[in-house]
Amino acid sequence: MTDTATLAPGAGGGLQPAGRERIDKVGYLFVAFFTVPFLLFNILPILFGVYVAFTRWSIVGTPRWVGVENFTRALSDPWVEVAFTNALLYGLLIVPGVTVLGLAFALFVNRGYPLSGLARTLFFAPNVVSATVIGLVWVWLLDTQFGLINHYLGGLGIGAVPWLTSTDWSLVGVAIASVWWDLGLAFVLFLAALQDIPSDLTEAALVDGAGRWQRLRFIILPQLRPVLSMVVTLQMIATFRIFSQVYVMTNGGPAGSSSSPIYYIYMMAIVRNLFGYASAIALLLFVAILVLTLVQRVLLRERA
Amino acid sequence: MTSISNSDPSSRKGTSRRGFLAGAAALAAGGPFIPVRPAIAAPIEIVHWSWLAASDGEVWAKMIAAFNEAHKAKGVQIRMEIVPEEQYTTKVLAAVATGKAPDFGWGTAGKEAALARDEVIVPLDDAAKKVGLDLADFSAASLKASRYPKYGDGLFMVPMDLMSLQPLINLDIAKEAGLDGSKPPTDEKSLLEWARAMTKREGGKVTRSGIMMTGAAVQPTVTWGIVAAQMGFRRASDDLKTAAVNPEAGKKAMQWVLDLFDKEKVSTRDVTDRYKAFGTGQGGIFWTGPWTLNGYLGQKLNFTSALFPNIGGTLRTYSEIGGLELYAQADKGRYEATMAAVKWLSDNSFLWTTVGRGASPRKSILDRPDYKTAGAPWSVRGPFVEGMSFATEGEIPVLAGPDFTIYSGGNFLAKTLDGVWAGKTSIDQAMAQIQETWQRGLDEG
Repeated sequence: MTDTATLAPGAGGGLQPAGRERIDKVGYLFVAFFTVPFLLFNILPILFGVYVAFTRWSIVGTPRWVGVENFTRALSDPWVEVAFTNALLYGLLIVPGVTVLGLAFALFVNRGYPLSGLARTLFFAPNVVSATVIGLVWVWLLDTQFGLINHYLGGLGIGAVPWLTSTDWSLVGVAIASVWWDLGLAFVLFLAALQDIPSDLTEAALVDGAGRWQRLRFIILPQLRPVLSMVVTLQMIATFRIFSQVYVMTNGGPAGSSSSPIYYIYMMAIVRNLFGYASAIALLLFVAILVLTLVQRVLLRERA
Repeated sequence: MTSISNSDPSSRKGTSRRGFLAGAAALAAGGPFIPVRPAIAAPIEIVHWSWLAASDGEVWAKMIAAFNEAHKAKGVQIRMEIVPEEQYTTKVLAAVATGKAPDFGWGTAGKEAALARDEVIVPLDDAAKKVGLDLADFSAASLKASRYPKYGDGLFMVPMDLMSLQPLINLDIAKEAGLDGSKPPTDEKSLLEWARAMTKREGGKVTRSGIMMTGAAVQPTVTWGIVAAQMGFRRASDDLKTAAVNPEAGKKAMQWVLDLFDKEKVSTRDVTDRYKAFGTGQGGIFWTGPWTLNGYLGQKLNFTSALFPNIGGTLRTYSEIGGLELYAQADKGRYEATMAAVKWLSDNSFLWTTVGRGASPRKSILDRPDYKTAGAPWSVRGPFVEGMSFATEGEIPVLAGPDFTIYSGGNFLAKTLDGVWAGKTSIDQAMAQIQETWQRGLDEG
C-alpha cells in the first residue's frame, strides 16, 4: 500500500515514497547490530553443534561423520542416565522450593511490615552473588564435621548429616544451595505481580467474609497464574542447566550422585575432548527441556 | 618482538590487519621510493603456556625469569601465559587448530596419547639431539613414560620432575598417640597399628582419621590403585592388550579400602577437603604428592614424610611425571629455538626440583652435593625423592588413558569405585565394569 501523503518527486521526475527507502535501510542497520552477532555467536554455533553431534571430533582435524552413533552411545551410557535422572530430581527439589519460598517471601514483604524494605533486599541479595561464590560458601556451611548447618541441627538433637559426602544426601545439599541462590528472582517476580493485583478484589473478598487462606486460594493465586507459570518454566530450564554449584560443591560425586547433564557434557567436552559425543548429549538435553516446557505450559496455561 | 623466522609468511606472529593496512598504505604512497635496508637480527619471543598457579607456579615463574635474564643479550625471551589446568588441553587443541599454538607447555607423561595421535605435540628425539640435550642423563623410567608406543614411540616430552604419593604424618598426633615419628610404619600391620592409635572416635563415629581419606573421589581411588598394584593387580598388561590383569587382587584391594572405613574404622567418609582437613589436624596419616609440602611448611604444620608402606606384598606407589612438550607449529623453524630453551630449563632445573616440586629426573642434578640441603628440609622432601624407586603406577599411554588414571576424582574409574565406597555397587560388579570399559579402551588404541 502506498501512502500518497508521503509521495514526493523522485530524481527521475516520477513519484517515489519519500524517505521510505532510506528509513528501511537504517532500520536494517539498527537490527543488524543485534542480528549479526546473534547469528554469528548463537545460531551458527548451535547449527555447528548439531552437525558435530553426528561426528567424531576433537577440535583438531576435520569432524568425521558417524551418523547417530553418538546418540545410541549416549542412550546406553549409564552416566547419562544418572545425570538426566538427577536433573529430574533437582527439578523436583529446586522448582517447588524456589516457587513456594519465593511466593511466601513475596507475600510476607507485600504486607508491608516494618523493615520489609530491608527484607526485600536480603531476599534478593543471593541472586546477585555468583554461583561459584554461593557454592564455596555452602561447602563450608554444609560440611559434615564443622559446618554451621550440622552444628545447629546438632543443637536440635539431629545427628551430623553428610550433606555433600554421601550418595544419599549430596543432591539435596546442592539443591539447598541452589534454592537459596535462585529464589531471589522468583521473589521479585512474585512481589511485582502481587503489587499489580487490584486492591478492590481483595477488599471485596474481605467484605464477603473471605479468610486469609480463601483470599490466597481464590483471589491471589489465580491472579498470579501467568507469573507462576513463568517462574516454574524459567526455574525448570535453569535447573536442567545446573552446573556451577555441582562443579564447585561436589564435582558431580560421590559416584555421580549429584551430577547433572551440563556437568557431564562439560566433562565429555572440555575434560575428555569428545566434542561429538558431548554435542549429542546437549541435543538430548535440548529435547528434554523442550518436552518438559511444553508439558508444563499445557498444565499451567491460563484457562479461558 | 617478532617471530623467529622472518622469511616464512605463515609464521604464527603474522601481520596484523592494522599492520597490513598501514603497510599497504605506505607501499601505495611511497613504496617505490623507500630505500632497501639490510636485514637485522630480530629478537625472538617463545610463547610458553603453563597451568602451574600455586606455590610451585611461583618457583616456575622464577625459572622463566632466570632464563630471560640469561638470554637478554642474545635477544631470546620466553613469554609465559597461565592457562587453567582443566581447560589446558582444550585450549591447546584450539590454538593448534587455528595455527596459533604456544611453542611449548606443561604436560604429564602418558596422558597425551590423543595429542600424539593428532600430531598436536611433536616428537623430540631429533630436536633433542640437535640442541645437545643429554638424554643419557635422564632416568630411563622418565623417558619411557614420555613415549607413546602406539604412536611411533617418539619422545613427546622432556621430563622435568618426578612425583610420587607418599605418606605425611602429623607429628603432634603421633606424639599424642605415643608413637615415634622417626620410625614410621613400613607394612600393613604397623600401618594399621599406627592408624588405630591416631584415630579419635566419639560415640562410635570417627572424628579424627588415623588414615586421612575422603568418602569418594581421588583419595580412596588412588589408595585402591596403589594397594591393588601392590597386591599384584595390573591395569593393563605390558603390551597394552589386556586390561585388568589379576582382577582378584583388584577386588581384594577394594575390600581393604572399604575396611578402613567400616571394619578398622580408622577413616571417616565425612571429609570434604582432604588438604584442608590434614592441615587442620583432622587426620594422622595422609598420602599425598610433593606439591603439598610448601603449603604445609608455610602454615608451620608439625609433620614429617615417610616412604609408602608395603601393604600388599610388592612395594609400589603412584607416579606422576611432569615435563615440557612442544606444540605443532606452521613455522617449523621455531622448534630448534624452542628446544634450546627447553634444554636450558632442564639443565638448570635444580631450583625447580628442590624448591619447586618433585625429584629431578636427571642424574647430574640428583648427584649434586647440595641437592639434599636445598629447598624444603630433607625430612619431608627425602621420601619423595627416594620413593621414586618404587613409583611405578603412572598413566596408561592409550587414547582412553583418562579412564585408567588412579589419581582422579571424576573419571570413569573414580565414579565406578565411588559406588563401592558408598555401598551402592558390589565389588564384583565394579570390577566387571572396570574390566569391560578398560578392555574397550585398550582395543580402541
